[in-house]
Amino acid sequence: MGIDLVPTICPYCSCGCGIYLVVKDGKIIGQEPWKEHPVNEGANCPKGKNAYHFLYSDERLKKPLVRRNGKLQESSWEEALGLITTKLKEATSESAGFLASCKNSNEESYVIQKFARIVMGTNNVECCCRLCHSPSAAVLGPAVGSPVMQTSQPEIELADCIFLAGVNIKETFPLMARRVLKAKARGAKVICTDPRKTVTARYLADIHLQLKPGTDVALVNAMMSIILAEGLEDKEFITSRTAGFDELRSSLSSIDLKQVEEITGVPAEKIKEAATTYAKAQRSCILYDQGICEHLVGVDNVKVHANLALLTGNIGKPGTGVNSLRGNLNGEGTGDMGSLAVFYPGLVKVSEEVAKHFSNLWGVESLPSQPGLTYMEMLYKCPYLYLIGTDPMMVVPDANNLRKALQGAEFLVVQDIFLTETAKLAHVVLPAATWVEREGTHTYVDRRVQKISKVIDPPGEAKPDWWVICQLAERMGYGDKFNFSSAGEIFEEVRKCVPTYHGITYERLKQAGGIHWPCPTEDDPGTSTMYLEKFNTPDGLGHFQPAEFKPLVEPPDDEYPYLLTTGRSIFHFDGGSMTLRTPKLVNEISRSYVEVNPKDAIKAEIKDKNMVTLTSRRGNIEAEAKVTDNVPPGLLFTTFHFPNSSGNTLTNPALAPGAKCAGTKVCAVRMEVKR
Amino acid sequence: MKGDMYIARSSDNEILERGEHGGVVTSLLKHTLESGRVDAVVTVKARDSNRYDGVPVLVYNTEEIVDTAGALHCTSPNIARFLKEYLNGVSDQRIAVVVKPCDAKAIIELAKRNQIALDNLLLVGLNCTGTLPSAKAKQMLKDEFGVDPADVIHEDIEDNKLVITLKDKNEKEKDLAELEQKGYGRRENCRRCETNIPKMADIACGKWGTEDKNTTFIEVCSEKGADLIEAASQAGAINKEQPSVDAIEARRKKDEKARELAYKWQENDFDSFEQMTADERFSYWFGQFSRCIKCYGCRDACPICYCKSCFLEADRGLVPPGEIPPDTMFPMVRITHVMDSCVNCGQCQDVCPMELSLSRLTFLLSKKLGRIFNYEPGTDVSQLPPLRTVTDQELSLSGVEVSFQS
Repeated sequence: MGIDLVPTICPYCSCGCGIYLVVKDGKIIGQEPWKEHPVNEGANCPKGKNAYHFLYSDERLKKPLVRRNGKLQESSWEEALGLITTKLKEATSESAGFLASCKNSNEESYVIQKFARIVMGTNNVECCCRLCHSPSAAVLGPAVGSPVMQTSQPEIELADCIFLAGVNIKETFPLMARRVLKAKARGAKVICTDPRKTVTARYLADIHLQLKPGTDVALVNAMMSIILAEGLEDKEFITSRTAGFDELRSSLSSIDLKQVEEITGVPAEKIKEAATTYAKAQRSCILYDQGICEHLVGVDNVKVHANLALLTGNIGKPGTGVNSLRGNLNGEGTGDMGSLAVFYPGLVKVSEEVAKHFSNLWGVESLPSQPGLTYMEMLYKCPYLYLIGTDPMMVVPDANNLRKALQGAEFLVVQDIFLTETAKLAHVVLPAATWVEREGTHTYVDRRVQKISKVIDPPGEAKPDWWVICQLAERMGYGDKFNFSSAGEIFEEVRKCVPTYHGITYERLKQAGGIHWPCPTEDDPGTSTMYLEKFNTPDGLGHFQPAEFKPLVEPPDDEYPYLLTTGRSIFHFDGGSMTLRTPKLVNEISRSYVEVNPKDAIKAEIKDKNMVTLTSRRGNIEAEAKVTDNVPPGLLFTTFHFPNSSGNTLTNPALAPGAKCAGTKVCAVRMEVKR
Repeated sequence: MKGDMYIARSSDNEILERGEHGGVVTSLLKHTLESGRVDAVVTVKARDSNRYDGVPVLVYNTEEIVDTAGALHCTSPNIARFLKEYLNGVSDQRIAVVVKPCDAKAIIELAKRNQIALDNLLLVGLNCTGTLPSAKAKQMLKDEFGVDPADVIHEDIEDNKLVITLKDKNEKEKDLAELEQKGYGRRENCRRCETNIPKMADIACGKWGTEDKNTTFIEVCSEKGADLIEAASQAGAINKEQPSVDAIEARRKKDEKARELAYKWQENDFDSFEQMTADERFSYWFGQFSRCIKCYGCRDACPICYCKSCFLEADRGLVPPGEIPPDTMFPMVRITHVMDSCVNCGQCQDVCPMELSLSRLTFLLSKKLGRIFNYEPGTDVSQLPPLRTVTDQELSLSGVEVSFQS
C-alpha cells in the first residue's frame, strides 16, 4: 500500500553519492534524487541513475552450488558449508588464501580477515585494493603517514588548480568531476595528464599534457625542475614541514627539458605552463588513480606526484593534497578493516608486536606475525582459495594463465552474487546478499563512512557474507570468536579495534553524508582534511622520495607494434557483473571495443565497427574497432568490462617492485581485422 | 465559489500547536480524509524529522496527517512526478495533494497530456516565494548564520529577508539578496518565478494578508475548492471569516512585490543571452551541452516528460549509443519536447551532474514561445501546448521562423 523513499548510497564507485530508492511492498520500483546528500546533492551519473536493476537479474545466485562430476549443481547450505569445513581443515596457514572485495562492507571485510588470521592462522588475506592502490600505500605511508585521500570531495571546489593525473574523472568519478567544474567556475585551472584525448582532456582540462604512456616520472620531474628554476617552491613549507629536500634537488639537477620532450612527447612550453600554473596557485589539488598506479613504475609515479605536492606546500590544507581515488565503493574501508596481507585492522603493519596486541584484543593464543602473500601471489601459490565478491578472471592480467592456475587449485570457493568468470571455475559457489539486501557500512574515497540499511530481502537463499563466515567459524570450532548476530555487533567490535573509527556509531551515521575518519570520540565531528598540523610519519614531517624515469618493460616491437592501454567507460564498471545486467547501460554499450587512431586504421585496413583481433604475448581478444583520434597513432585503448573480451587477457602479469600490483595500464599488442 | 477569500484557523488544538499560520492546511487534509472526500493525501514530510530531507508521502491514516504539519523550505521534492510515476497518474484513487505553484502547474501540464487524472485530485495550493537547495542551505546555515542546521525549527522568507527560528526560539535573519549574491539563498528557478499564489490549484493558502495573527488567508480557486472550504467549515474543522479590504490589499501588494523581484531576476538571467548574436548563443549553449554525460537526469526529473518509450533512449536509434557527450540531438530533442510547457520547477537543473543551466534555457524559451502564442503553461487545463496545436497560419506569422527538414 505505502510507497517509501528510502535513502541509500550508490553501489558503484567510491564517490559515495546518495540516492533514494522507491520501495513498494518490499520491492524497489524506482529511484529518485536525494538532494540533501552533501556529495552529489541530488545529481547522479549514468550508473548511479541505474543503480538497482542488477539486483533483480534472473541470473542472481539463489542457492549454493557444489561441483559434482565436474558440474556445478545446486546444494543445501548444510552440504556446502560442510564440504568447505572439511577442506579448510586440510589446509594450512601456508596453503590457504582469502581474497575479499572492495565491494564488501567494512563489517564483512573485518570478519573475513579475522577468520583468516584466527581460524587459519594466516595473513594470506587480501582484497582488490592490491591491484590499484598498493603503489599509493607504498609511497604515501613513508611520505606523509597514510595513503588516504587527504581532502574531502566538497573541498575540491576550493582549489585554484586541479591536476588530474592520469584520471579520466568525467567517466570514472563523474560526481567528483562536478566539483572540478565548480572550482573552474570560480576560476580554477585544470591540468590533465593522459595519453588519450578523453572527455576529461577535451571538455574539462585547460591544459592537456598528452604524454606517452608510462612517462609520468619524466614529466613530473621536469615540472619540479622548472618550479625550482623559477623559485616557485614553498621554501617555508619545505623548511618547517618536510625532510629530504636536498636529495630531491640533486636528483632533479640533471634534468634536460629537450630530453624530456622526447621521452614524453609533450612540448617543453606546455610542461612549463603546467608547472607554473600548478606552483603559482594558492591551492593546488592532485587527483590521481589507476592511470598512474597500474604501471610497473607505479610506485615511482606516485612518488613524483607526492614530491610535487610537498615541494609547493600543497598538502595539509583543504582543497589540496595528493589524493588517491579509489575505484570501488569500499576500497578504503576493506583495507582499513585489515583485508591486506601487510596490515591488521586500522592499517597497522603486521609485526610481532601488533600480532600480540590483536591476540589480546581477540582473546586468542597467537596470531600470524609475518606478512602474508599478496593478491596475485595467492592465486598462483595457494591451493585452497576462498574468494568473496572478487572476480580475478576479469580484473587481473594474463587471464588465460590464471585460468590454468585456478583449474589446478585443490579447492576454490567463490562467494558472489552472479556466476562470474571466476565462479565458473570454483568447486563451491555460495550465493551472497549484496548492497541493500544487508546492513553494513562502507568507507568511501574521502574516508567518508556511510551506512547502508537493509531495504529488501536477498533472493532465494542468498546470505550476507559475514553470516557465511561466522557459520564456517563455528564449524571450524571458533564460534565463540565470531558470535555475531548482526552487522551492528561486528561494527561495535571494529570500533574497539580501529581507533580512527572509535567515535563512529550506527546512530551517528544516520546523518546524510556520514562521517570522515579519523573520528576518535563520539563528540568528534570527523576529519575532512588530513595533516593540517603535521604528518602522520614518525617525525611528523613530509618526506621527499626522489624517483628516476625508467622506460617501458614491454615496448612495442615489430611483432607487437601497438601499445595497448586499458580503462573504464562511464557506462560500465570493472568486470561488468553488475552493469552488464543493467539493461539501460547495456543499451549504451553492449560489447568490447578498441579505440584506434584513424592513421593506424588506414595502415591496418580497419574500418570503424570492424571486428578486430588484438593479440599480445599472452593471448588474444576480439573487439569492435572504434576509429577515433581519442588515441594517438600507435596507441590502442580497450576496457576490461566484457567477459570473453577483457583487456586483461592481454595484459602483463609482471608485478611492480615495492607494491606487487600489476602493470595493467600498458602492454604491446598486434591488431588484425577479423576475416 | 471561485474567487472567494477567507481568513481561517484550525479548530484542532494539536494542529494549531504543530502547524503554521493557524494550521488550516493540515486541518483541511485531515478533514478530506475523515470525510471520505479523498482516499489518500500526498504531501511532504520531513523524513526522521529532518527538515532538509523532505520526501513525498502517501497518507491513508488521519492520525499521520499531523506529522506532516509545517512548511519545509529547504527541500524540493518532485510532487508531480510522484503522482505520475508511482501512483499511476492518480487513475485509481482520489487524492488530496499539497502543491506549490510549480507543482500545480506541472500537474496541469500532465493532465493536458492525459498522464494525470485531474478529476481524482484535490489541489491544496501553498503560496510560495521559493525553496532553497537542501545541501547548500545547510552549508549556508553553518557559514552565514553560524548555526547548526539541526537546531533550526522554522525558516521563512519575508520582505526579502530569510528568517530562521532556532530550537531556543531565537530568530536570526539575513538579507536574501546578499545571500543570493554569494550563491546561497533560493534555487535559481525560484528566484525568477513570478507565480507566488497558486491560483491554478483548487485553493491557494498562505500567510499574506493575515498580519501574522496565526491564521491562513485562503483564496478559493475552483468550485471543487469552494466545496472543500464549505464542508470543512461546516464540519467544524476550520473557523473562517471574511478578510478585510486592507488584508486583501496587503496580500496583493506582497504578491506584486515578489513578482517584481522575480522579473528582475529574469532580466538578470536572460539579458546576457538577448545581447548575444545567434552564433554566440549557439556556441554558449553547445559549450554547455558538451559537458553532458548522458545520465538522463534532466529527462527523468522533468515532470512534463512522460513518453513511456523515449526517443532519446539508446536503443531507439536516434542518438548514437554509448557516447559522451551525446550527439546534439540529445539536448535539442529534450528541450524542444518540453520548451512550450516549461513550468520553471527547476527539477532538471537540480539533478544535473554537470551543472548545465537547463532550467534557465527551457524557461527562457518557454517565455518567448508564450509571448508568441499567448500561452502560459500550467494555468488552464483546456489550453493545449502550442507546439502541439500550432496551425500553418500561425507558423507564417512574422517573427515566427520554423524550418522543417525532410
